[in-house]
This record gives sequence, C-alpha cells and structure tokens, in this order.
Amino acid sequence: MLILDILTTAAVLFIVSAGLLAIFGVLKIINFAHGAWLTIGAYCAVIVAGLGLNPWLALPLAFLVGGALGGVTEHFIVRPLYQRPLDAILATWGLGIVVGQLITLWFGRDVQFTPGLLSGTVDVFGISYSLYRLFALGAAVVIGLGFAFLLEGTRLGLTAQAVIMNETLAKGLGIDTGKVRLATFVIGTGLTALAGVLLTPLTSVDPTMGVAWLIGAFMLVMVAGSSFGALAVACLVFGGAQVIVSTFVSPILGGITVAVLCALVLRISPKGFARA
Amino acid sequence: MKLIKSLAMATALVGIATTAFAQDSDPIKIGVPVGLSGANSVVAPSVVQAAELAVEEINEEGGILGRTVTLEIADDQSGAAGAQKAFDSLVYQHEVDVIISMETSAARNAGLPIVSRGGVPYIYTSFYEGRSCNPYLFVNAWVPEQQVPPVVDQFMEKDGAKKFFLIGSDYAFGRGMLEFARKYIEDNGGEVVGEEYLPMDGSDWTAIISNLKSSGADALVTSTAGGAPNVTLTKQLRGAGVDLPYGNLAVDEGTAKTMGADAAGIYISASYVTGIDSDENKAFLKAMDDKFGEDLRTPNDLSVPQYEGVYLYKAAVEKAGSTDPDAVLAALAEVSFTGPRGAISMNKQHHAPLNMYLGQVQEDGSVTVVNTFQNVDPGEQCPNL
Repeated sequence: MLILDILTTAAVLFIVSAGLLAIFGVLKIINFAHGAWLTIGAYCAVIVAGLGLNPWLALPLAFLVGGALGGVTEHFIVRPLYQRPLDAILATWGLGIVVGQLITLWFGRDVQFTPGLLSGTVDVFGISYSLYRLFALGAAVVIGLGFAFLLEGTRLGLTAQAVIMNETLAKGLGIDTGKVRLATFVIGTGLTALAGVLLTPLTSVDPTMGVAWLIGAFMLVMVAGSSFGALAVACLVFGGAQVIVSTFVSPILGGITVAVLCALVLRISPKGFARA
Repeated sequence: MKLIKSLAMATALVGIATTAFAQDSDPIKIGVPVGLSGANSVVAPSVVQAAELAVEEINEEGGILGRTVTLEIADDQSGAAGAQKAFDSLVYQHEVDVIISMETSAARNAGLPIVSRGGVPYIYTSFYEGRSCNPYLFVNAWVPEQQVPPVVDQFMEKDGAKKFFLIGSDYAFGRGMLEFARKYIEDNGGEVVGEEYLPMDGSDWTAIISNLKSSGADALVTSTAGGAPNVTLTKQLRGAGVDLPYGNLAVDEGTAKTMGADAAGIYISASYVTGIDSDENKAFLKAMDDKFGEDLRTPNDLSVPQYEGVYLYKAAVEKAGSTDPDAVLAALAEVSFTGPRGAISMNKQHHAPLNMYLGQVQEDGSVTVVNTFQNVDPGEQCPNL
C-alpha cells in the first residue's frame, strides 16, 4: 500500500511538472502561468462533459487548446522576454492571474464537476487500490517515455538538445531557434493542459485549482534542471518523502515536505539532481 | 448684528428640528458584510437574496415601526482583513442600525471589536464552531453541540459503529467540529481510531486515506472547508473504494446535488433542508422563486437563517419600541420568529435551540430526510452572558 501510494504520488507530481520542465529546459524561462494552463486543461474536461461527449475526448482537446493558447502566448508575451528571465517570470505570473480571472468570468467561481475517467478499485497484491491512480502511473510512464523518444529520436528533439547545450552555436549552424522555441512552448503548454485533465478525477475543478500545484511543480523542476530522468528521480524521492511523512508523522508536515527538501537539496548541491 | 445672530439661531434650531424629524422617517439600515469574493463567494449570493426577500416583504407590510428598511451590502472578502474594512465602513460611514450576516469565523472575529466599539447589535447567521461570546453578538444558526450528535447517533445505533475515523481541514471550524465529535463519540462509548488534518489548500489526501483504510474504522466523519477540499476528499475517497458509513459535516444540499453519484450515501446534518414540510417553508420557497426566477440560488442552511435573522431583528425593534441598541439587545434574547426552519428564539445564552435534520444523499444528488430531532439545545455556549 505504502509503495503504491509513493509510486502513484510520484506519478501525479511527474505529470503535473513535465510541461513546466519542457519549457524551462529548452527556453530557460520559468512559466509561472503553469497553474493557469493546468486549470485551462481541467475546464476543457468541464466543456467536454457539458457537451455530453466521451470524457476521454477531453485529453486531445486539452492538448490542442493548451497548445494553441501556448503558441499565442509565446508569440505575443514570452518572445520579447527571452533575454530577461526575471521579467518573464513577472509576465507569466500576471498572465496566470488574467487567465484565472477570465475563467472566473466565464464559468463563475463555483466548483465544477466532471465525470470520472475511471472509477472503482482493482486488487493489486491482495489489496484493493484505486484504479485511476494506477492509470496515472501508466500515464506518467507514457509521458516520460514519450519525451525521451521526442528528444532522442526525432529531428525536433535533436535541435532542441542543440539549443539547450549551446544556443549561439546552434544558431550558427543554421537551426531556426525561434521555431524550436515556439514548438517547445506549444508542446509544454499542451502537455500541461493535458495534465489538467488528468487531475480532474483527483481534485475539484475551480478557477484557482492550478495554484496549489504550481509551487510544488516549480520546486521539482528547480531540482531537476533540464533532464526528464532527473525529474522522475526527484518526483520519486520527494513524492516518497511526502507520503512517508504524511503517513507516519502528520499530513500537515507532509504538505511542506517537498518544499523543504527541495530547498535543502539545492543548498547542498546547487545543480540539484541534474548531473548533465 | 443682533438680527444676524437670531437668524443664525433660528436656522440652527430648524436644523436640529429637521434632524430630529428625519430620525423617525429615515430608513432603518441593515448592514450585511458577506464574502462576495473569496472562499464564501459560492454561497454569498444566496445569502444576499434571502436578505433581499425579507426586506422586501417587511417594506410591503409597512416596514418596522413605520420606517422602511434598507440593506447595505459590503464584501468582507471571506477573511479578517476584508471584514475590518467592511465593518468599519458599515458602522462608521453608513451608520447602520444592525449587522446581520453569514460570514467566516475569521471575518466574524475581526468584526466583533468594531461592533463593540460602535455599539451595533450583530446577528450572526452562519453555523460555526461555537463559543463566540460578546454582548452585541446573537447567533441563530447551529453549533457543534447541535449538528454532530445526529450523525454519530445514527452510526452507533443503526450501523453499530464503534470505531470512528475523523478527517478535517486544518482551520478553526474543521478542528472545532472534530474536537467536539471526538468528545461526543468517546462520551458515548465509541473510540476514535484516527484524526487527521490537511491544510485548507491541500489537495492530496492519499496518505490519510491509506491510514483510514488500515485503521479498521467502521465509520467516517469529515469536516473540511466547503467547496474544493470537500470535493477533492470525497472524489479521492470514492476512487480508493471507501464505502464506510460517511458523515460529512461540511457538505450542503446544493453541493451534494452537483456532486451527484460521488456524494451518494453521504449523511448530512442541517437545521434547514429544502424538503421541510411546513407552510412557512413552502411560502418562503415560493416567494424566493417568484422574486428571483431564473437567478434564484437554492436556499440553504446559510441563507435561510439570514432571512430569519432580519425578521428576528424586526421583532426585537418592535418589542423595544425603537432602534436603541441597548433596548434591542435586551429584546433580541426574548423575541421569537417562526420561519422556514420553525420557531427560532435566540434565548439560550445568545444562541438558539433548533430542529435538526439528518439527511442522506441519494444517487441523483437529492437529499432524503432520514430523521428529525426537535429543539436540539445549543448547550453551554456563553455561560457568562
């Protein structure tokens, strides 16, 4: 039970942080509107449910909507700020507030409800466990492997890696870094919106739901640097610590475990878990 | 010179006369600080609607002592800082005669010093964790002593439950409710096998649910903050396959309705449910429907006390013969009003004995009343008042 709790908690953290890491890794920009994109994704699930469609359709819809809005944001807001990362934090933070207010205006402040994607429990090693949490574990693995493939096995991934390593050189070699940035931002935001849909069976959907996840995701990404492998390790270690502290000490302390451990790790090893 | 002086005197005299005259025909102002933004923003519109109906009805019947009644609504932002501003502006700028409102405990505590200084009676219409005592404060909604026993009794008598698990949000109301629940369970021969809290903005109940499953509890009582934490916990409980008897001290009819199947089977305990079979309740529901039509927010356990609070104030002013605060405060402890929840009188140490209803949420989200408890006493809330 404890092991399953740790694995699935880590999986949820990984799903939530992956989009933020993708953007931070390539663009060196911290997208503080991350929480807003999670919320956008979750409201895609609300819309799909409102139209009476199959709830699974929310996943591709959220990816498309999140990606499209991400593209617009990159073009108009983030692009002029690549050389000014601090201003970018401010701009995306502000954008997050604006998105939250627009959602409030459109859908109201109330908590929204979506049909569960998967319900019920299954027996694993003799204990009944939430089917959806196990599905989230699978989804995290798929996202992780998907990114590994994208980075290692495709042209886009190769150029993205070149941009990560040495942007000036990449530019000199004729790589259109602007396009790489746009593509990364679109994929990152699309993925974040998708994560928002995946969160709906676990949380309520309201205009501020993303904020609760933002800080945790941000901490994990700081520790992970720009590597998905490191993010997976960070999620496992910190998610595990959170579950263990919550179970055996106090859930209130468990809630701050991730933040405290991240601060400690960064103090001891400023590069975090990224050994690249 | 003399002429000017006497002219000035005359104008001054006329001035005094008109103010004195205006006092009698000026409207009676009711201040309603309420959480239009923040955590209470989901329920606040229904509270404002209930107050508006009460005022409209009273004015149609000729007002209070012949004076019309007006509402001054202020946003307390559901918290202490906003409440200070709201109370300050109501008491000192708008100079309201009374404050009648449903608010968070933080907002109430922030407002109390201001009503004490301004000398304004304050009728608090929200259920809360109890034991808030102030000469200016009257409460017409329930406290833990009235709400918890129906749920615990049901689980002990009908389901034979002995071992209880308690889960709450980490704030005054959550802890206050469960502290009383623990005491009541232990006094009645039960056992509390676990008591866990998560911060109000926490959304991951995984570890708590695992502890619940391994605790061997046969009943679950929760008291989270309303809205998001409540929904998150219930979803994750259902996801984890928890099917123990489940009493939720923080869910209301409206939330249960929107949660639908996830909420099915949950027991709730309230002093108001829409299904109360009385003439007063039917007339109230019809009047609300006629006045607000499509914009109607479903009346609930927070908005109905607000409606009754306005009428209780009316009764107190009529008994006192004026809006003089001291006379009104004395009268508030004695008057009674029969509203949708039955006859309400705040005669027990500034608190009110209430009829309590134990309801169970059905598959379609509606609430069926399982049991009714007449005139449940609020207990020793403020023995020094």
